Amino acid sequence: MSNDATPDRNTGYLSRRDLLFQAGEGVGGLALAYLLNQDGLLAAGGCESVRGIQSAHAPKPGHWKPRAKNVISLFMCGGVSHIDTFDPKPALDKYHGQPLPGEGDVQVQQGYPGPIMRSPYKFRKYGRAGMDVSEIFPHMATMVDELALIRSAVGRSNDHSISHFEWNTGALIPGSPSYGAWIAYGLGTENQNLPAFVVIHDHRGGPFNGPNNWGAGYLPAGYQGTVFRSTGDPILDLRPPAALVTPEQQRRRLDHLLRLNQQHEERFPGSSDLAARIASYELAYRMQSCAPEAVNLAQESEETKRLYGLENPATEPFGRQCLLARRLVERGVRFVQLWSGAYVNDTVDTWDAHNSIIDNHGQHAREVDQPITGLLADLKRRGLLEETLVIWHTEFGRMPISQRGVGRDHNPNAFSFWMAGAGIQGGQIIGESDEFGYKVARQPVSVFDFHATVLHLMGIDHKRLTYFFNGRHMRLTDVHGEVIPQIGGAAAATSG
Amino acid sequence: MMLVRVGGAILLLGGFLLWPAPATIREKLFSERERNWWAFQKPVRRAIPQLSDPRWRAHPIDAFLKKALDEKGLTPAPPADRRTLIRRAWLDLIGLVPPPDVVEAFVNDPAPDAWEKQIDRLLASPHYGERWGRHWLDVARYADSWGHIHDDDNPNAWRYRDYVIQSFNQDKPYDRFVREQLAGDELDQGAGYDAVIATGFHRIGPRVLFREKQNPHYRYDYIDDMIATTSRAFLGLTVACARCHDHKFDPVSQMDYYRMAAVFFPFIDYDHPLAPAEEAVAAEKLRTTLEGKIRPLREQIRKIEEPYRRAAFEERLKTFPEDIQLAVRTPEQQRTPGQNLLAAQVLSVRAAGMRIPPLSDVDREERSRLDTELRELTRQLPRRFEVAAGIRDGDYRFTPDGPGDEPVPGTTAKRIKVDFEGSFVPRPGQPYEPPPLYFPPLSEPGKGTLVEPGFLSVITGGGPARIPTPTNGRLSSGRRRALAEWIASADNPLTARVMVNRIWHHHFGRGLVASPSNFGRLGGLPSHPELLGWLATEFVRQGWRMKAIHRLILTSQTYQMTASFQLPANSESDPNNVYLWRFPMRRVEAEIVRDLILATSGQLNPQAGGPPFFPSLPASVHEEVKRVGRWILTKEEPSTWGRSVFSYWKRARKHPMFEVFDQPDTMVSCERRNITTVPTQALTLLNSEFVLLQSQHFAARVRHAAGPSPDGQIRTAYQVALSRNPSSREMADNLQFLEQQRAHHGVTPDGDPHLLALTDLCNVILNLNEFLYVQ
Repeated sequence: MSNDATPDRNTGYLSRRDLLFQAGEGVGGLALAYLLNQDGLLAAGGCESVRGIQSAHAPKPGHWKPRAKNVISLFMCGGVSHIDTFDPKPALDKYHGQPLPGEGDVQVQQGYPGPIMRSPYKFRKYGRAGMDVSEIFPHMATMVDELALIRSAVGRSNDHSISHFEWNTGALIPGSPSYGAWIAYGLGTENQNLPAFVVIHDHRGGPFNGPNNWGAGYLPAGYQGTVFRSTGDPILDLRPPAALVTPEQQRRRLDHLLRLNQQHEERFPGSSDLAARIASYELAYRMQSCAPEAVNLAQESEETKRLYGLENPATEPFGRQCLLARRLVERGVRFVQLWSGAYVNDTVDTWDAHNSIIDNHGQHAREVDQPITGLLADLKRRGLLEETLVIWHTEFGRMPISQRGVGRDHNPNAFSFWMAGAGIQGGQIIGESDEFGYKVARQPVSVFDFHATVLHLMGIDHKRLTYFFNGRHMRLTDVHGEVIPQIGGAAAATSG
Repeated sequence: MMLVRVGGAILLLGGFLLWPAPATIREKLFSERERNWWAFQKPVRRAIPQLSDPRWRAHPIDAFLKKALDEKGLTPAPPADRRTLIRRAWLDLIGLVPPPDVVEAFVNDPAPDAWEKQIDRLLASPHYGERWGRHWLDVARYADSWGHIHDDDNPNAWRYRDYVIQSFNQDKPYDRFVREQLAGDELDQGAGYDAVIATGFHRIGPRVLFREKQNPHYRYDYIDDMIATTSRAFLGLTVACARCHDHKFDPVSQMDYYRMAAVFFPFIDYDHPLAPAEEAVAAEKLRTTLEGKIRPLREQIRKIEEPYRRAAFEERLKTFPEDIQLAVRTPEQQRTPGQNLLAAQVLSVRAAGMRIPPLSDVDREERSRLDTELRELTRQLPRRFEVAAGIRDGDYRFTPDGPGDEPVPGTTAKRIKVDFEGSFVPRPGQPYEPPPLYFPPLSEPGKGTLVEPGFLSVITGGGPARIPTPTNGRLSSGRRRALAEWIASADNPLTARVMVNRIWHHHFGRGLVASPSNFGRLGGLPSHPELLGWLATEFVRQGWRMKAIHRLILTSQTYQMTASFQLPANSESDPNNVYLWRFPMRRVEAEIVRDLILATSGQLNPQAGGPPFFPSLPASVHEEVKRVGRWILTKEEPSTWGRSVFSYWKRARKHPMFEVFDQPDTMVSCERRNITTVPTQALTLLNSEFVLLQSQHFAARVRHAAGPSPDGQIRTAYQVALSRNPSSREMADNLQFLEQQRAHHGVTPDGDPHLLALTDLCNVILNLNEFLYVQ
């Protein structure tokens, strides 16, 4: 699974197969047009998954058959404090108000290091494994048997922007493809009527770095995340302004375009590019009806809406994002990324709790706790959790020491995230941070390990998913990465 | 794993730590096989093959091409018709559609040199530089903002963009173009201000521009960007792969990388004043004098305000939790260690801006007097010159504080410690000594190995380069100049080859080497090595003139073949048309999609050059953009309908229309663009405000020119957009469509149904494959 774009030794040019990837839908598009015609799909159809289409975005087999088909990434922008949520540290109570011992020059991102600060929250043990969860997540606590909690994530920067790049692309600077783009490139998408990779912002706005977090980097642009907008049509320019063009006019325009394009194509027989472009208009037309259908929550029952907290103003916005995520993976969207936190006023609108853990995390935890729990429960009862990898993550954790007695600064040296679904072994805790939660004590998990694990769960060997660019076979995991060994989930896997 | 800790930020230095870094660095000897790689051998001008076929024997390119076709048993396509040819040439050379009268005149021109005249006319057009300069801007990773989190505006980037466009239009010899970009500030005779503007080549790469002093490795990343871009752009080599280890595939050692790093190491970011040197020096002197008077005034004002600040802090303190108030109020000697930390955190807040309470009358009067004095002095400051954002040599260890560099009081933010005299910008009258580069980078003083500048050892034979002492008492190391001379030389085996291959790549959609910025082992072997060698020598022989190469290529039969030729035997043995048995058809790039639409609607704003314009954005997209860097929200109106090359290129956010049509990422040099086909492109061309509006303008233009007859309108629309008349079948289909749409619009209340129907047709035409393909 690579673009294998190393040009052919003898001719110096790319093979036909490479062009499929390098030059877009190329050869695939020809087959696509053929298949669309064959299946009568060029006539307006439903929004169910269209399978069996050969295009650059068509489903592709992985290196083995995994349980997971789709990914939902729940990215908590701003840096969630691990020691106030999933990683309790009794030592903080014991040494509250004292300097962090034995650390010498403690590195903070802002100003001076403060003294140790205990968590304002109480922890209790839940589930079979007795996983500790703080009172900040009362709903999520009921789902711990589904979660594989990693307490030993370690990042390379304490800067928001850099860390967002790191945990989304593996690189510390912009310009590299996001892991969602890599998965779209590696596996294609199950539903040609919708984008392969959908991003939904926090209702307050987009995160640090904006679109570079879900960009395609050097991969073809089609693999990038598409932002589903919160108002109006979910996709930019999805439909013409109603006042200018009615749906019937649109259809007639497309029919006429198809007619003229086909007459043109007759002069260039066998041109796959032209055929692909003709087919892309039909897919666009289908997207016009299928994308609004996908985000229309009117079909959901009241009970389901309550499950996601839609009746509560505090949980409604993120609840809506979570419910949309379920509807999208249900329809075959390969990768959905939801953002909690917006780069508007960052210490208020993201999880960036410099000023106060209680005020900041209290609010953001309330906003996401029930919706995320509802999402897991809903996926599970519909049998979708087995085939959906749900990831709850953030760009770094927070310091065991205080900022002005109430807030916490950034800490990339140890933090927590969890994964659920995809047949992974739930109810387990992986890795360990030190006595204070300042650094990793056991089994550090780097972003490369994280990405290797996600690809593994999706049936991809991270060392074999490559794209030739600027003289190198590029990888999501660069030259690093180990799959987290105890993650499970690859039971259905046979190496291929 | 090594953590580099500098001040507030913790970073694993990306490049340096991926492999265990050796403590020392040494020359590497390459094997004969490595040295014998084809691209490192000087191009050879082989004899032009002698053919008997009269169509193919007259032109050197055709002779080489046809010989290869014959050897492969491939049959070449017949020539394209004149309509196809003129449209092909216009799209290819200037990126615009030919006006119908120009097409007709060419089609009916009986002169034997009609084609040559057409080519010369296009090469003389200022639009040529707008089209071909843009290709170079891809290679130069041009953008108008700095990228990274703040993505601030680079307000003078456009001067480099205009320099590139003008250089193409002037047919500047390529060797000079190379010298100016690499070392314009070090050249003996400047070409006006062009040469210093050209150093923008090194300045338009991505920059963080925040907390740079706490992150000294950023500077090494910028140098890496310069090495990567320089080596890819001019040499077609991926030298930057050797940052952490010897190149895995090509004979480029880590030593080669650091020698090249030493070439760039003296650089400082510098805004070259676009003013005579004496004027600039005089202004700087005046500024220094005045600032010397302003500083004590500011200090006096600060002293007056100090007690008020203290009072404000007391008020502020009351808003903190009690344990903090207690910690601050406890006398320092009596605080616990934890209280000390708390107190320090809060006291540091005092440095931050606080509103101060009203001043007493006496203090107010005094401050007002000082303010007046301050204003008067400030008024006398010399006006700032227009500047070109470029680089020069200097001493980075004396860099003034930038954003985020202001030290937090009491912190130990690590900065470069210098215990000797020096200046950021070299001072006239004092000797200039470039700062030394040590390996490993960021070594403690005296710990690393000093690296001398040098070029690629596989070509030079190794060792440091001889750097001629700069003449004219120039305060510069002369290192970039020496690199530029080495690259811009007919003896360099790569330079001419790489550039003629780029030109070929853009004319045919693929280079003779399929990877234009990689002539190494992971790149492609040339499909026509003899032709590439011949073209490279011809390029030098013609004085490195790019227009000569365009003329040569366009006058060949190879370029004039039809694209619609089909022969099963050819498709069988060369399905990808590697040997060019027909003209390769391809979609135009993002900017040209937009430019063609504007040219067709008749709304293209001819204004060229100068600061970039901001194309209109949907408000919802603007919401995502506005908090980072610069973006001006504009409307769809003539001021935003200039050629796309002049639009604002924002690193953190591409314009949606350009993005969907594969505009490249601008963080690194781009050798060739992806050309994808995805449904969102169709949505943009069918539904975006821009395209719908231009469809209306196109329709109005057509009706104005053709009058009310539907036949005439269809014919005119085809001539304007597609440079041809419709076939009878197309005419019938279009008439039927117009009638159908008119009937439909007739039942809606607003607008002229005839015009609305024509607008629908115009929108369809802008979406045609034929409209967007060079064929």
